[in-house]
Amino acid sequence: MQYHKPRPTASAIASRFLIYLVLGLLAILIIVPLLWVFMASFKQNSEFYGSPWVLPEGLYFQNYVDAWSKARMGDFMLNSAVTTAMALGMLLIFALPAAYVLSRFRFRLRRLMNISFMGGLFINVNYIVVPIFLMLVAGDKQLRAWGAAPFFLNNLFMLALVYAATALPFTVYLLSGYFATLPVAYEEAAYIDGASNLTTMVRVMFPLALPAIITVILFNFLSFWNEYIIAMTLLSSSTGPKTLPVGLMYLTKAQNARSEFGQLYAGLVLVMLPTLILYMLVQRKLTQGMALGGLKG
Amino acid sequence: MKKLMTIALALALTIGLFLPAMAQEAPLKVAAIETAYGAEIWQEVAAGFTAKTGIKVELVTDKNLEDVITSQMKAGDYPDVVMLATGRKAALTETLIKENLLEDLTDVLSMKVLGEEVLVKDKIAGGFTESSLTNPYGDGKTYLAPMFYSPCGLFYNAGLFAEKGWELPATWDDMWALGDKAKAEGIALFAYPTAGYFDAFFYALLFEVGGPEFFEKATRYAEGIWDTPEAQQAFDIVGKLATYTEASVPSNANNDNYLKNQQLILDNKALFMPNGTWVVGEMADAPRADGFQWGFMALPAVTEGGDRYSYTWFEQLWVPAEAQNKEAAKQFVSYVYSDEAASIFFEKGGAVQPIVGLAETLEGDNKMFFSIYDTGAKAALGNFAATEPVEGVNFADTVFGTVNSLVSGDKTRDQWVEAIKVDSDKLREALK
Amino acid sequence: MDRHKGRGWFIFWCSAPAFLLFIIFMVIPTFNIFRMSLYKWGGFSARRTFIGLGNFRTLFEDMKFLQAFQNTVLLIVVVSVITITLALGYAAILSRIKFKGQNFFRIVFYIPNILSIVIISAVFSAVYDSHNGLLNGILALFKGEGAQPVYWLGNQNIIIYSLAGAMIWQAIGYYMVMYMASMAAIPESLYESAGLEGAGKLTQFFQITLPLIWNNLRTTLTFFIISSINMSFMFVKVMTDGGPDGSTEVFLSYMYKQAYTNSTYGYGMAIGVVIFIFSFALSGIVNLVTRRETLEV
Repeated sequence: MQYHKPRPTASAIASRFLIYLVLGLLAILIIVPLLWVFMASFKQNSEFYGSPWVLPEGLYFQNYVDAWSKARMGDFMLNSAVTTAMALGMLLIFALPAAYVLSRFRFRLRRLMNISFMGGLFINVNYIVVPIFLMLVAGDKQLRAWGAAPFFLNNLFMLALVYAATALPFTVYLLSGYFATLPVAYEEAAYIDGASNLTTMVRVMFPLALPAIITVILFNFLSFWNEYIIAMTLLSSSTGPKTLPVGLMYLTKAQNARSEFGQLYAGLVLVMLPTLILYMLVQRKLTQGMALGGLKG
Repeated sequence: MKKLMTIALALALTIGLFLPAMAQEAPLKVAAIETAYGAEIWQEVAAGFTAKTGIKVELVTDKNLEDVITSQMKAGDYPDVVMLATGRKAALTETLIKENLLEDLTDVLSMKVLGEEVLVKDKIAGGFTESSLTNPYGDGKTYLAPMFYSPCGLFYNAGLFAEKGWELPATWDDMWALGDKAKAEGIALFAYPTAGYFDAFFYALLFEVGGPEFFEKATRYAEGIWDTPEAQQAFDIVGKLATYTEASVPSNANNDNYLKNQQLILDNKALFMPNGTWVVGEMADAPRADGFQWGFMALPAVTEGGDRYSYTWFEQLWVPAEAQNKEAAKQFVSYVYSDEAASIFFEKGGAVQPIVGLAETLEGDNKMFFSIYDTGAKAALGNFAATEPVEGVNFADTVFGTVNSLVSGDKTRDQWVEAIKVDSDKLREALK
Repeated sequence: MDRHKGRGWFIFWCSAPAFLLFIIFMVIPTFNIFRMSLYKWGGFSARRTFIGLGNFRTLFEDMKFLQAFQNTVLLIVVVSVITITLALGYAAILSRIKFKGQNFFRIVFYIPNILSIVIISAVFSAVYDSHNGLLNGILALFKGEGAQPVYWLGNQNIIIYSLAGAMIWQAIGYYMVMYMASMAAIPESLYESAGLEGAGKLTQFFQITLPLIWNNLRTTLTFFIISSINMSFMFVKVMTDGGPDGSTEVFLSYMYKQAYTNSTYGYGMAIGVVIFIFSFALSGIVNLVTRRETLEV
């Protein structure tokens, strides 16, 4: 029992100093570049040819105006928000029950499903995007043959579905890892109260898994929001909808053409802000939700 | 069987009857790369075309056009007319050439220019439809129409030369001497935006060392061609030039940072860079040294009094074989050579169509650039011949991309030549 | 009673939709990759020729592919070793030592992970710039003005490590949070008794923390292999495009070039197959090698 703080020793002070030094160094390495992006977004085009570390001559807000109107950032941001929300919704609807069942029930196909989802972690979205695309093309051709309007391509819902499907392995993995750490006692209590499987899962287990769900939402929000290879392929029509990262391409540099650097950086900041805000909102839950024990059994 | 034939014939006739009518109604889908000349020119030309024919035009322009149209095309939705040159990173045009998916445009050449009484072939300036750039299979048939041409060569700061009292090098020996002089003042002789810009440079050099016949053989991967003294001379020049190149160039020789390499010329840190006339527009906003003034010359000659060449670069306009609206597409192709379209292209964007007599009307910087062929330089046109796709072989990377390694010293000239020979052999077998 | 009767259906409705979606959008496209790797096909036309394992035979004689292979392996090793070491260190400091500003550091360290890759590339091209870059600027302080700059993105012996630097910068926070999550599960009492026995912080880390999170560490190794293959492609695509002269080509970037720009789609798919098998095998090997008697708390 100590009633007063012990006097810090010299070595304690030294180690404290060392800790701050080590942490501070990494923090600077992260904050400085971040500020640099903000700074660059206020520069005029001619300022981009010299040293990148010079402060902007003034706050050139026109970049944001141009990025917003020329690159149709407003429309695209709405598209991105809708797609991301749909994809997250579908992902949770599909992944949560599956993860719960896979971690709690023993049934015949369980092992096969677990192994398949694990194997799915190794499938890289970057190379299956074209087969997916060709599949959807075939689907649209079939629809046209039946006299119906094409549905599969240039459709935000389909894009969201593909996002949800390709995020399944990791999400199921993470969620079932978390479910496995929850004590069985909760379910037993619910069953004694006469609750059905469904009620138990939705009313008891899902709320308990909230930290993991939030982690899943954050991770997938980041990847859906920033994703552009699938979006570019599946939303190919020039008159159809586009998402924000695809819209950003209108601003990117291209050889033989004049570059609008200021607009590009303003666009980048516009894309980055929602992710930063969401992260700040949920960051406290982030550490709690990552229980990666690995699938047991 | 006979009945079937009759039905088929009747069907074909009916479709044949209705097709022209339908073509009038369906909009013409035009996709064009947006370059330094801007996108506005296309809107106006499209409007001009609609005014003449009543055919509506659906226009797509983008700086990275491949990203926009490739998936569409794979989904079976082809544009009717596309302006996209070969030699770009995404190599979409090359892919279609390799896959035989371009429409033969030879008949367009003997069509009348839309709204004029002149034939297209009489309107297009001499030589433009005779190289592998427009006739990729070497069979005399034209599959790609030439657009927006631009002489390529070496760009420099004329102000700096005046200030220092330096003479422009007329031969490569003069060039090396100048390089040593400049080095003493801390200026590098040479810089390049990306290694890809060596295409125009290297093609012109091949013409200089061996003339048109040699060029033809080399670009068709003739056996043993790279061991000839002519080829060796070209390799020597590039190899030596690599040692005179500003050392930071390979670091920035990519799509994101190549402007930094072009900036070297504006900052007087390097003397020459290979480029095209679009560079002026591209660097319009960039800060520059006092007294900076664009200068432009053909490659120095290999020998005293030898031929000097400037590569003629142009955009390529083509019609996909899968296009739905080919008749209108061909009309559109003829229209871009009309005086009306040409003046829109030039007035609104500064793009110069390869039309007879147009270059004489130019003024200012453009006059200097386009008069290069009047002041002694010869025009070099052509590129490496199309082949069937060969797994793992990208000849542009092998020939031009390696220059980065020559500059940084990661590969020697001999390793470079060896790799070229190996790939050249593979491509010869796959030649179309 | 009710519960057991509906059990089968409950399991079915929970797991089948997710599994079906996974089959449609991931398994079938992957199967198609395997199938297409046996063809010679340009990607557009209807001309397809079956050539059996021909693509694979070409692949193993393709020096550029071998270089991409080598680069990928190098990046996986360098990035995972350094990232894991640093992430573990920072996680241990942040979860085992109490000091002011802890939360701030935890939040900041994660930020690189939420940024879009385009921003990261822009940041690092300003950091690595040979004339005006931050890194050379700092080096010049030590070496004096006018010293030969280091060509971070031009020197072919250095550039792959420059890429690794950017990848590590991006990944530290993510893995740090993961390790913090599992460190939080270690009971405080273990450290207290160790402290009473006179074990220093460092000893505690190696005797208690590391063994107890070992399982989690192994799991992240698998993630590393998967994500390094993917992230190296993203970084290469925006920062160097495989250059200068193919010196930074990695698996996926080379696959893309072959499948799309070189009109050899089948060959590209063969590369995709190799990537899949390679990452699967490597994870298996790593899993075996790192197997230890696990300590359960």
